Order: sequence, then structure tokens, then C-alpha cells
Amino acid sequence: MKQRPKILVVDDDVDLVTVMRGALESKSYEVIVAYNGKEGLEKAKKEKPDLVILDILMPVMDGFTFADLFNKEPSLAKIPVIALTSFSESLGQPFPFEVCEYIVKPLKPKELIAKVEERLKRGSSQT
Amino acid sequence: MLPKEQSATEYTPEERALMFRVMIWVSLRWLAIVGIVIVTLVATKAFHIGFPTLPVYATCAAIALYNLFLLRQSQRLKAEEPGLVVKKAETFGNIQTFLDLAALTVLLHFTGGIENPFISLYLIHTIGISIVLPKRRAYELTTLAILMATLLAFLEYAEVIPHVNLQGFVLPYRYSELSRVSGVLAALAALVYAGTYVTTAVSGELRRRQREVVKLRDQLLEKRAMELEQTSREIAKLEEERRHFVRFLGVVAHDLQSPLVATLSVLSYILDGYTGQITDGQRDLMQRAVRRIDGLLTLITDLLDIPRIETGQITREMRDISLNEVIKRSVEGLDSLSKQKGLALRVELPQISPKVYGSSRRLQQVVTNLVSNAINYTHEGMVLVRATESDSEVRLEVIDSGIGISPEDLPRLFTDFFRGSNVEIKGTGLGLSISKRIVEAHGGRIWAESPDPETNKGSKFTVTLPKKRIAVHPEKEEQTQVGL
Repeated sequence: MKQRPKILVVDDDVDLVTVMRGALESKSYEVIVAYNGKEGLEKAKKEKPDLVILDILMPVMDGFTFADLFNKEPSLAKIPVIALTSFSESLGQPFPFEVCEYIVKPLKPKELIAKVEERLKRGSSQT
Repeated sequence: MLPKEQSATEYTPEERALMFRVMIWVSLRWLAIVGIVIVTLVATKAFHIGFPTLPVYATCAAIALYNLFLLRQSQRLKAEEPGLVVKKAETFGNIQTFLDLAALTVLLHFTGGIENPFISLYLIHTIGISIVLPKRRAYELTTLAILMATLLAFLEYAEVIPHVNLQGFVLPYRYSELSRVSGVLAALAALVYAGTYVTTAVSGELRRRQREVVKLRDQLLEKRAMELEQTSREIAKLEEERRHFVRFLGVVAHDLQSPLVATLSVLSYILDGYTGQITDGQRDLMQRAVRRIDGLLTLITDLLDIPRIETGQITREMRDISLNEVIKRSVEGLDSLSKQKGLALRVELPQISPKVYGSSRRLQQVVTNLVSNAINYTHEGMVLVRATESDSEVRLEVIDSGIGISPEDLPRLFTDFFRGSNVEIKGTGLGLSISKRIVEAHGGRIWAESPDPETNKGSKFTVTLPKKRIAVHPEKEEQTQVGL
């Protein structure tokens, strides 16, 4: 396992991002932040994170469009994604990511950390 | 010869009358021939009236022959299109009339001329003509009939052709008496013209009324069509407004929920200790704040859900799903809650999961609602979730050994904002009404019984879902043109 795994957080809500960053950094993860899908893709290409946490409903580019473009990038397609969704969304539709988990908002930081850890562990055990 | 397909246009009343005349006359002629033969037989054999019968039968044969010919022609006529029918039927009819009148005159000649009381049979023809033809033509043909009768009487009177006497019936010299001849002819003329007058009047009136009826009907149809179009337009407009409203709701939902979600996350963050140690007092107050915001969030979600369910938005989410999966996922989430209260949460599912057509998320919402209600209103004992399958439907039952529902509350259970009389748990009161809407949008039914009939305590909630595909709001097809 790498030292200080890199996590990219893509969410348009500033407060939520603050909370997530705080929780993740307290567990010594390196956190990169993007406030919309377009920015998220750029940063993902540049930083190559180990995990992406993605809010589905966002301005400029919503989660699904992001996912589509994300999957098309060979360097990004293998990165695991955790999707943030409010209950009134998407559970009815299959999410187009190769590797994906859901977290339902409102967000409990403990739940987030647990999922992140589990996902990263799973990801590294596959290599 | 196969008849052509009739064209879609309609016959006018006039056309229809002409067709009638053509067809029915052919049939009547057969009857007439039989009648003539019978009368002749009766007259000669029974009443012993003497006159040569051979010419009569010969004429009958001739009539039969030309009737056969006319039958063939009339069948050809049936295959014609409306519009063309009129011209052909007219000519055809005129030929028939002429032949009939001639035949009658010939027969009369062989059966005594003006001596024969059956001379009044010209009336049959004139009435038949008057029913179907316009006035002028009717009078023309009536006059033709009179002329033929007069011609016959005159020819016999002038001894140009021999008179046949009905021996034993009438004295042989009447035909040569001018007074007798004129008398009979005058009587005949009066009879047939009177008949024509009355019949054309009646017939004309009937046709006029028929035309009026057709006109009224057409007016009515046109009015109806316009109303229909108007209603369609109004419906299309309403549909557009509704779609707009639902889109609006989607935006509103997000804008109302996001700040609350963010606030809850922030509070959880603090409560989980990420900002450092917090005092018990701080914890207590923040937890109260969390509860209030959570309640508000649920209320908003529920409220915004209702129009979405009612306008059939959820049919877009529907597909073939496994009921067992839905139930399992729902129960998993509530397992800890039931353990906290020390209740047994049992699930009985069939080996092969029943398949239903629906939204897995929404049905999960229903199951969660029912099971969490059961847990919340039960203090000891168990909550049972049972699914069964029959030929036509899938049945889900949630049974609890809880405080039950009072008989006054039972009928109002599924109404909006219903809070029972024995309520202890805080909530919006929308859970059951939303569940009912979801179930009904799936074409199913939901109801409650208290106490549970099997255990005689607690409550039992039953949901049935049809096994065939039913979408109660068929909005899946984008309707660009709304028609009735």
C-alpha cells in the first residue's frame, strides 16, 4: 500500500467538501478537491488519485456525464469510485462505473471513512 | 362475376330509393306471375269464366323471361359505385316500368280489357313509381299508364284488335259502349292520379325528413369533432403544464435539500469529534438540531415525492425486478433498529424470488416504511415479513405484535398527514400515504388489519402486486399528440 493514498473529492457543495476533507485528512489521506465535473476530470488526469469520491448531481457536468468521460480515459478507468447520492436519485439506474459504491446523503463522516478504507484495501489487494 | 368493393361514400336518400325500386321490383314480379297464374286458374276452373288461357300463360312466360334478364342487370347495378348508380338505375327503372305497364296492358287485353276489374292493377305500378320517383316523373309515368289503358280500350272499341270476352262474367258488348268505356277509364284515371298524388306527397315528405336527419347528424358530428379537438388541445396544454411543474419540483427539491444535507453532514462531523472534544451539553443540543433538520429533510423529500409519484414519473424507473432482493435490502437496513428494541425480525421468502414489474427503489421505500412502522410501534415480540406468490399476484405481509391500530383510525390510516390516536413516534404522517400511492402506481393494493387475524394481536399490513405488467400512469411513451 502506497504512503498517503490520494483521494479526489468532486462535489459542488463547499460545506460538504470541507467535512469530507477534514474527515479524510484526519486519517492521513491526501485530498484533492474539485467543485464540478469538468474540474474533476482535469484534476483526475493530472493527479491520478487512488480513489474518487463523486457527487452525482452537480452543475456544469453531472455525475453520469463525468462517469462516461472518466471511463473513456484509459488512465482513469481503473480508479475506484464512490458515488454520493441523495435518496431521491439514481438507485433505480445502474451506475456506469466499473467499480463503484454508493453513499447516501446526508453524509456520516464515519461511514465515509469506513467505505474509503474498505475500498482502498480491496483495490490494493487486487493488484 | 365478383362485385367490386363498395366505395366509402354514402348513397343519398334519392339514390337509395332508386336502388330499392330496382331490386325489389324484380322480386315482386315473380310474385305477380304466380298471382296471375293462380287467379287465372281460379277464374277459369272455379268460377268457370270463359276466356282463352294460353295467351295469358304465354305472356306470363314472357314476363318471367324478361325478369330473368332484369335480375342479371340488377346484379350488375349493385356493383356500381354510388354517384354512377343514379343514372343507370334511372334508365333501368324506366325500362322496367315501361315493360311492366305494357305487360299489364297485354294481359288485360287477353282477359277482357275494360271488362276486367283487375284493370285497377295499374294502381300498383303507379304507387310503386310514386314512392321512389320525384313528383314530375311520377305523374309522367302515371299518365303513360292511363294512355296505355286508353289505347287498349280504344283499339278494342274501334275493333282494330279483337276483344276477348269474359264469358259468364260480363255481357260481351260493354266494351263497345262509349259510356261504359269512358266510365271505366275515367274511374281508373281518378284512382291512379289520386294514388300518385297521395303517395308522392307522403314519399316526398319522408325523404325531406330523411335529408334533415342527415343534415342534423352531420352538424352534430362536426360540433362533436370541434369539441373533441378543443378538449385535446386543453389536455395537451395541461400535460405540458404538468411536465413543467414536475421539472420545477426537481429543481426545487435539490435546492431545498442540499443545504439541509450539508448542515447535517457538518453537524455529524462535529458530533463525531473531528473538531475536537465537545461537552455533553453541546452534544445534546447538536443532536436536537440534527433531529429537527432530519425531520424537515424527510418531510421535504416526502412532500416532493408525492407529485412525482402521482404524475407517474416512477413508471420510468420500472422494470422486471426480484421481490426477494427488494425485501432483503430493506430489512438489512432495519436490522439494527429491531435489535436495539429487542425484537425478533423474521423474514419468510419463497425459494424462487417472485418477479414483479416495478421500481426497486420505490418498492424498497414501501417495505422500509411498513417494517419500520412495525418496529416503531412494537415494544416486545416480533415483526414478520412474509412474501408469497399466486398465479395472478404477489403478496407481501408485514405482521407485528405491537400496539395495534384502533378501529377509528383504521379507515383513515393511509390518508395524508394521518397521525394515529395512540401515536408515540414523531413523523410526518406521510409514510403510509406515500406507500399507498407507490403501490397503486404499480397497479397493486395495500391495506391494514388490526389485530392480525392469525395471532389476534398487533397489526398486519398487506400489499398485493399484479404479476402482469401494469403501469397505471402510462407516461413512458412520450405523447407529442394527445388524442382521446
